[in-house]
Amino acid sequence: MSADLDGEKDERLAALAAVGDRGAFDALVTRHRQAVYRLCWSATGNAADADDAAQETFVRLYRSLPSYDPARPFGPWLRKIAWNCGLSVRRDGNAGVPRVAEGDAPEAVDPAPGPEVAAAGNEERRWVADAMAALPAELRMVMVLRAVEGLSYAEISLAAGIPAGTVMSRLSRARSRLLAALRARSGGGS
Amino acid sequence: MDCRETQALLTAFHDGELTAADRARVDAHLRGCTECRALLADLARADQAARVPDPGPAYWDRFNARVMDRVEREADGPKVALLRPKHGWMRQQLRYLVPAAAAAALVVGIVRYGGMNPGAPTPAVPLATREPAAADPAAQRTSKMEPETRATKAAESTAAARRAPPSSVAGEQRTAEPREERDRLADRSLQKGSGEAARDRAAAPSAVGVPTPPSMVQGAPDGQGRPGAGGGRDAAGSVAPPAGSPPVTAAEGMHSGMHAERKKAEGAEGRRTEQEGSGKAKSASGMRIAKGTSAGSPCDRARTLAEGERIREAEDAQRACLAGDLPAPSREKGLVFLAELLDRQARFAEADTVIAEVDRRFPQSPPLELYRQQRPMVQKHPTAVPVTR
Repeated sequence: MSADLDGEKDERLAALAAVGDRGAFDALVTRHRQAVYRLCWSATGNAADADDAAQETFVRLYRSLPSYDPARPFGPWLRKIAWNCGLSVRRDGNAGVPRVAEGDAPEAVDPAPGPEVAAAGNEERRWVADAMAALPAELRMVMVLRAVEGLSYAEISLAAGIPAGTVMSRLSRARSRLLAALRARSGGGS
Repeated sequence: MDCRETQALLTAFHDGELTAADRARVDAHLRGCTECRALLADLARADQAARVPDPGPAYWDRFNARVMDRVEREADGPKVALLRPKHGWMRQQLRYLVPAAAAAALVVGIVRYGGMNPGAPTPAVPLATREPAAADPAAQRTSKMEPETRATKAAESTAAARRAPPSSVAGEQRTAEPREERDRLADRSLQKGSGEAARDRAAAPSAVGVPTPPSMVQGAPDGQGRPGAGGGRDAAGSVAPPAGSPPVTAAEGMHSGMHAERKKAEGAEGRRTEQEGSGKAKSASGMRIAKGTSAGSPCDRARTLAEGERIREAEDAQRACLAGDLPAPSREKGLVFLAELLDRQARFAEADTVIAEVDRRFPQSPPLELYRQQRPMVQKHPTAVPVTR
């Protein structure tokens, strides 16, 4: 990303990219690729599909830029594309397949797991990932945007197109289910 | 504040979304309640476990270049990929739909031409001899295609015949001979030296009486030819593209053939009659849609843009098209096309809404049913699936 573009807002970069500024597009990709990847990973549940979906997200972004209105916030728009791409990839390639397969556990590609990521933590995370896969899409989305992306309720509301109150109730339901799954796991003596 | 009330607010508390007053109340309860503190810790545990692992710097080093590579690759030549079925599913469909389309066209030809329109000018040959020609969509399509596309089509047709069940292969092989025979007889019946006129005449029955075989089989997937007898819905309920990049080629070809023949027979008055007569046929076969859109109309522009992979712009054009005054069949197909464009942008919920509207306005819509069959492929390969119009 060139230095002169570093400070530009997303909307400005998108407007520049829409008229063919490759540098601006590259800056947008660099700025958002990790968040897009994480969202796609959360939708697909494995690194390979997340990669496909993340790539596809930016290809679609590139195609769609000419129709982008810079008056609209860029982040929610991009997140929507990413989420749809993630669901699309999952729908195509993983229909009926467990979201987190053996051997493709999230920690397997974590380059620098912290000390807290011990074996027990990994196991728990795998179970949470499975429980997330079992959530309805609308619950999973808010969970991902909150827990993975750290968005505020207002931002999730914008991205998901639902009222903030609904964001909270969905998060509450999503977490209740996740915690129930965790407790069931703990109670089962894993 | 009791546990129940606290737990109702715990999620928002954990997310830092409570007002200062509520936050203070929850804080106060948590200080004295181990159970609610444990629940709060669980929320953090769930969030922590749901973290997504990072694939590492080597991955990110290549990421942007890979995106640009895909962007440039897809910008280079997506048109053929857009329309030509490269995937096993579509190939598999073609294997069975080609002979099915031929059979459907045969039946329709018998009913509509041989049975319902006995007074129409025909070569003096037995019906059984004429039928295969009417049921030969591949031959029709080839005869009306641009010269440079014929070789490709012929190869594909041959390949399809090789894959088709033996009976269908035999049926397709049969068509060549009766066609020659029909031409010869037509020449004789006209007693003129104009072979072209005779062919026009011979082609006329199939053009008028035989609706298009399913266009998704014959036209759209290959990406070069358009449906053999114009866009629209055939008697079997299949949908043909109303227009496309080589716009209304087949329809125009059919028109000119009919026109040439009738002009010879009826002169200038015949032209008007032919247009009126074919208008009826157009309604039956859906040709009206192909002819009704001018080259610069939003409807045509939408399709051109879609074939250029400018899907978002195509969507805008299609919406503009639908905002106009369209006949019901065009609107029905136009809405289905809009749903397809939305699917190809992974805007599935919006596509669902459009589909629901089609369902509501056009119950049991054949174009919609056809698209529903193709929809998984459209969603799976938004840039490589035939446009189902």
